[in-house]
Amino acid sequence: MDFSSFSSAEQQAMQRVIENKQRLDFMRLYAGLVERCFDSCCNDFTSKALSTKEDTCVSNCTLKFLKHSERVGARFSEENAKMMGQQSK
Amino acid sequence: MSMFGLGGGGAQSAPQPSSAQIEAATAELDMITDVFNRIVSSCHNKCISTRYHEAELNKGESVCVDRCVAKFFTVNAKVGEQMQKMGGAAAGGGGGGGGFF
Repeated sequence: MDFSSFSSAEQQAMQRVIENKQRLDFMRLYAGLVERCFDSCCNDFTSKALSTKEDTCVSNCTLKFLKHSERVGARFSEENAKMMGQQSK
Repeated sequence: MSMFGLGGGGAQSAPQPSSAQIEAATAELDMITDVFNRIVSSCHNKCISTRYHEAELNKGESVCVDRCVAKFFTVNAKVGEQMQKMGGAAAGGGGGGGGFF
């Protein structure tokens, strides 16, 4: 987004808004990832320790989700740019 | 998440100079992140195997994700179109024409 039309006070305020959102988004990502990977990886409660299998599963799950999210981000900005181009025509 | 490095949703915690422009920009930001997070979650559910044998996206999953995102946008546009057609100004209220960034 383009904030160049904003005054410097407004840009500062916007910066604060964005930082707050980033913090919130990070917490949400964290919580969501824990839930997702726990659900997919931990189904056996005969032991309270994380088994090796569960451990690799959780780590694969986390890495894979981040890669997925990265890829979606790339496609998302492509589609978004395409749409913006259409609108301005 | 963190498209454009932004976070989504939640209460607006900007007690500082709150001009109409900032509010509009914040709302737009909220909407874009919300859509992005929906796509991430939806396409993950639809495309990514939950067996987690490896940490990499395999070829099939990658292609699936690409198509999933494109399709989501198409559906987004289509639903927006339909809503505009049927609702217009009258029934639309806050929601009419939604889905256009």
